Amino acid sequence: MAVLTGRPAAGSAVRTLAGRVGRPSGGRLGGTPARLSAMMLVLAAVGLAGGIVSVVDVVQRSSTVNRVTTVSGPLTVQAQQLYRALSDADATAASAFLAFGQEPAALRQRYEGDIASATAALSAATAADRDQPTVARIAAQLPVYTGLVETARTYNRQNLPVGAAYLREASALMRDELLVAAKDLYDAETAQVEADRRAASGFPWLAVPLLLLGIAGLVAAQVYLTRRTNRLFNLGLVGATVLAVALLGWLALSWNGVRAELSAAQRDGSGQVRLLAQARLDALQARADESLTLVARGNGGDFETDYKAAEGRLTGRLTGARDAASDPAVRAAVASATSDAGTWRKAHTDVRAADDGGRYPDAVSLANGAGQDAFNRVDADLAKGIELTNDTFDRRARAAAGALGGAAVGLSLLTVLLLAGLVYGFEQRIGEYR
Amino acid sequence: MKRLLTVAVLAGCVAALAAGCTPAAQTVPRNAVPSFRPPVPAGVQDPAVVPSAAAAGASDCDPRASLRPGTGGATPNVDRIRTRGRLIVGVDQNTYLFGYRDATSGHVVGFDIDIAKQIAQAILGDPERIQLVAITAAQRIPFVQNGTVDIVVDTMTINCDRLKQVAFSTVYYDAGQMVLVPRTSSATGIADLGGKKVCAAAGSTSIVNIADAPSHPVAVSVADWTDCLVMLQQGQVDAISTDDTILAGMAAQDPNTKLVGTPFTKEPYGVAMSRSAPDLVRFVNGVLERIRADGTWATIYTHWRGGPAPLPPAATYSD
Repeated sequence: MAVLTGRPAAGSAVRTLAGRVGRPSGGRLGGTPARLSAMMLVLAAVGLAGGIVSVVDVVQRSSTVNRVTTVSGPLTVQAQQLYRALSDADATAASAFLAFGQEPAALRQRYEGDIASATAALSAATAADRDQPTVARIAAQLPVYTGLVETARTYNRQNLPVGAAYLREASALMRDELLVAAKDLYDAETAQVEADRRAASGFPWLAVPLLLLGIAGLVAAQVYLTRRTNRLFNLGLVGATVLAVALLGWLALSWNGVRAELSAAQRDGSGQVRLLAQARLDALQARADESLTLVARGNGGDFETDYKAAEGRLTGRLTGARDAASDPAVRAAVASATSDAGTWRKAHTDVRAADDGGRYPDAVSLANGAGQDAFNRVDADLAKGIELTNDTFDRRARAAAGALGGAAVGLSLLTVLLLAGLVYGFEQRIGEYR
Repeated sequence: MKRLLTVAVLAGCVAALAAGCTPAAQTVPRNAVPSFRPPVPAGVQDPAVVPSAAAAGASDCDPRASLRPGTGGATPNVDRIRTRGRLIVGVDQNTYLFGYRDATSGHVVGFDIDIAKQIAQAILGDPERIQLVAITAAQRIPFVQNGTVDIVVDTMTINCDRLKQVAFSTVYYDAGQMVLVPRTSSATGIADLGGKKVCAAAGSTSIVNIADAPSHPVAVSVADWTDCLVMLQQGQVDAISTDDTILAGMAAQDPNTKLVGTPFTKEPYGVAMSRSAPDLVRFVNGVLERIRADGTWATIYTHWRGGPAPLPPAATYSD
């Protein structure tokens, strides 16, 4: 068939007209041109709707992905920093208290750094989410906590036992109020990232059926026209069909790209960050308990029970993190943390043996020496793993945003061209009846 | 009348204008005061769960009576300590002046520790052959019963209830329950503290005495004595009531407190040991007999409590 388009021969028009006369049902629709116009309008409406819904879909998806990379993702990191800084302050204040006489300058600096970074993370969280009730809880109690720690220090320097009582009270406030609130905040922010990720990965349930309907309609229209006009192809409609398929393909590919990247971001990034961050918090908790057992000076049985629980959780999480690790560098960091945790466990056994044996000063020097060193290494290993997996999350989330690059403009353009082809194709046929 | 109306209307207009001219205050979100719970020491009970008063109040015995020293029989328990080479003593690390950790040296020191060292000296010939195990008030009886420690020298009151669970030496210190209040308080004793919060350590006789006081104070218990001082300083309790010895240690840490009233209980302190070690009880009573007589007791008293020492508590023997 050489002629794809163009006016049909007069004979065919006559035949068509005769056919029309012979079909009263067609007459009710107002004749073939009117029927074609109606088909065109319906198909144009479906095509336009499909195009608009597709564009809206990618625009919304893109904005959700952006929220992950610029808001909920960074907020989760802030919440995690807040949680960590508070736990670290608790552990460091207790360790610093253990040293007889003057507290070591390094520990004092670390404590002050923890309070500074907790406050910074807190203001960031407040600025981003004013309505978060946990933020207000932390903001109300953090100054009270630091006040208690300073009171404890002052008394301790005067060699008065009431200092240790103040430190225990500070630690109780940290654990019963501040860390609970920090965990709530972290959980809420993590849930937000997960919700955003799910929303961004959702299948375009409105756009795809509309586009499929449009394609089906275009094919049906062409079959109808071929029967009516004996023309095999209509360039405008063939073009519109190709464009509709391209639209559908682009939409589906970009959706799949976002879904795959975000799924990888979760699997290789945020999921592992969560495991490692929890492991790090357990390590801090265990370290605080180890010190507080000694600070409590004979009244630390509860702290030792807490230590055992935290240490058990740490071991479990390290195993989980090792199984989940998908990056060799992360796996190496976890392996190193596991082995350092083993060293720490041995050091702790020595600390307890010394303390339970009445050799309290030995227990303290062991806890501040071998215990502190092993704990520091575990903490550094886990920090490295968290940094690596946070980077992976960032990279994957950005790649997800990239999968949508130009989609909004491209899909809009395709929709316009599709409509143009559709109208052009129908107008040619309708024109033949004038 | 009409003039008055005009003036009133004018005044009204001016008022309305003024109100209209006043710049509208920028709307700032009203910050609700977040629910705030003041910090409390871990393990505080307010009000306290008080141990049954009947048990603590049992008086079907003479708490001061103990076994007569050195009757010359076999001494398996003393020998066991000699074989081990050190005396294991349960002590408090948090009772200032009686048993506390000196933060500078790192050692536990105090009146009770000096008594324990006298016993170690007598058994092993060296006051330093001693292992101090820091324990809490609630651990004192179980640790003696399960053999974790040989003896407990930890401001421990002898009473009939405890005598059923552990054995005690003769009295080495006569304490009595008093009240510590802020310097500004008008209370002059437990009688003035009806309905007020009074703090003591959980599981102690003091908490029972507070709950049983005729003035009906509200007993608040804490895990550790020093927690009471924290709560008093933070205004969470109105007073602390326990043995004058412990209160003297707290008053020494905070000059804004004062000890008031006269002792309203008798708190004879004894060294706690296992009921299955009568030879050790007799040995310890022998040591106490000696230090009462040779002035060692008075020296220890003056060192820790200051001032001239009273007469040491007289020994009473049951056999």
